This record gives sequence, structure tokens and C-alpha cells, in this order.
Amino acid sequence: MNRVAVEKKVLSENDLIAARIRAALANTGSLSLNFIGSPGAGKTAFLEQTLMRLPLHTRAAVLTGDIQTDNDAIRLRRYGYPVRQITTAGACHLDARMVEAHLNDWIEKGLELLFIENVGNLVCPTSYDLGEDAKVVVLSVAEGEDKPLKYPGIFRKAELMILNKIDLLPHVSFRADLARENARAIRPDIDIIETSCITGAGFGRWLEWLAVRADKKKASAQKATAPKASAESPVAV
Amino acid sequence: MHEMGIASSVLEAVDKELHLYPGHRAAKVGLRIGEFAGVDTESLRFCFEAVVKGTEWEPLELEVEWCSAQDGRRGDELEFAYLELDEIKEAAA
Repeated sequence: MNRVAVEKKVLSENDLIAARIRAALANTGSLSLNFIGSPGAGKTAFLEQTLMRLPLHTRAAVLTGDIQTDNDAIRLRRYGYPVRQITTAGACHLDARMVEAHLNDWIEKGLELLFIENVGNLVCPTSYDLGEDAKVVVLSVAEGEDKPLKYPGIFRKAELMILNKIDLLPHVSFRADLARENARAIRPDIDIIETSCITGAGFGRWLEWLAVRADKKKASAQKATAPKASAESPVAV
Repeated sequence: MHEMGIASSVLEAVDKELHLYPGHRAAKVGLRIGEFAGVDTESLRFCFEAVVKGTEWEPLELEVEWCSAQDGRRGDELEFAYLELDEIKEAAA
């Protein structure tokens, strides 16, 4: 028997596709965020509130993943942005192949923002790169403040934690300070924004975070194409 | 939960690698899995046995090196570290 060193990622096929998606989105300066959270953390409600508040004429689109039903896509379509449902038929996560298959013409239309709502799950989606710029973890105060310690993988990979449903704080024993401390124990530089989809609290800060990241992404695409004319696409989605 | 998918991805990766070594069959695959990879190694072993059983891959073995985020490791590794190969003996005519 002879042993040969391989030293490759197990998900290298997925990563190849993710790299292709990332390169395409880099060309158009599109910011892509992958939202991961437990079922019921409020990912869809959070995206609904986000779409409702985006500046007029923002070229945004949403891919939403679920094991079954297109309920989330129906909810998200009410805000006038293009939405596609990815039904995984059993798979507990989205992978890059599913995302690429559903993106098709969106990239060439020059999106500014692509939101990907992953299947509700704090474990499996963590392993799959979808070509996103950042993972965002959504945790609600209806869960435990020790979730970051129990599911360190996602809290380590996420650049931003949305602490959602803070309107419920007076009614639950959840300690927000402890949740923040736990998240920072796993990733010291994680950004944390507290939100409520009922009162709208925190959405101003979230939209600022989003605008800073989107501008940075757009600027890096323009820099890459310089000295050509602006990378802005004139095509509205 | 996604360990079945990971097990299938391991077999796909082994299949791809094996093309580099004609005249050999895969005997053992070695993985390196970090503590933050989000992969349950016991569940992965179970799924791997299930996807190998009754196929041409049998009796392919799986060995997992579990690693923590120390000694320069990130802790989120999900890597195909090595492959052990057996030469295929020509069957007697």
C-alpha cells in the first residue's frame, strides 16, 4: 500500500464554483451577503424590513433557500425586487452550485446587492462557500444567549451578527450583554447590530453598515476597471 | 445533518484523485477536520460507510484526524489530507 499526500479541500468542487460566482460579482461590484440562522430567527422578516427600507432604485435581488415551499419568496416579492426561491428538496444548506444555477442573468444586469437567505440551520450552511462577501448570522432573543458557544463555527465565520427580535427582551430571560460577550469570545471583531422587525429598531445602523460595504465593493470594481469609464451598469434590474 | 453530502463529496474527490494513479484502487482516505468545521466526525463515519457499502468502493476505509484551533491551525479545516492506494493485480487469465 502506498500513501500519497493530497492536501485539498473536501469541498473543492463547491469552492471552484464559489470562486467563479465571486469573480463575476467582483466584476460588477455587487455586494453579496449570506444570511445564516436557526429556523425562526427572523431571517425572512429581517430581509423584508431591509427591502422595504432600501434607497429607491437600489439594484437588489434575493435568493432564498428552503427545504420545501416557496413561502419565503412569496413574502419577499412584495417589495418589488427580484426574488428567486431555491428549494433544496431535503438538503439542509445551500451550496454554490444551487446559487450559480439560480443567478443566471442577474449578474450581467449589474446588481448592487445580492442577499442570500440560507436554509434555517446554524451548522451545515457554515461549511459551504457561496461566493459571498460576508456571512451574516441572525440570532434572536427567543433563543439562548449561549448559541455562539454551542455553534462556534458560524459565529467564527460571520462578520456581522444581527441580534433580532429585541422588542421581546422585556418578556424573555435572554441576556443581550451575555450574547454579545459570547459572540466576541468566538470572534472578537464581529460586528453586532440589534434589531427589531416590529419596531424597526436598529435598521438605521444596519443600512449604514450595508451602504459602507456596498460602496467599498463598488469602488474596488471601479478601481479594477480603471482607467475605463465608470463600472456603473446603466441597466436596471 | 449535511454529513451525507460531505461523504459523497469525499468520494467525488477520491474519484478525481484516483485518475492520477492508473492501475490502483483506493484503500483508505484520510481527512483533516477542524473543531469549527461544523462536521460531526461520528456522523460522517456512519454516512461514509453507508455511501461506500455495496458499491465498487468497498472496502474503502476512512480515517479522520480531528484538530483544534491551535498550533497554527484555523480550526475550520475540512481537508482531504491523503489517499492510500493498492496496486490492482492483473487477474490470472
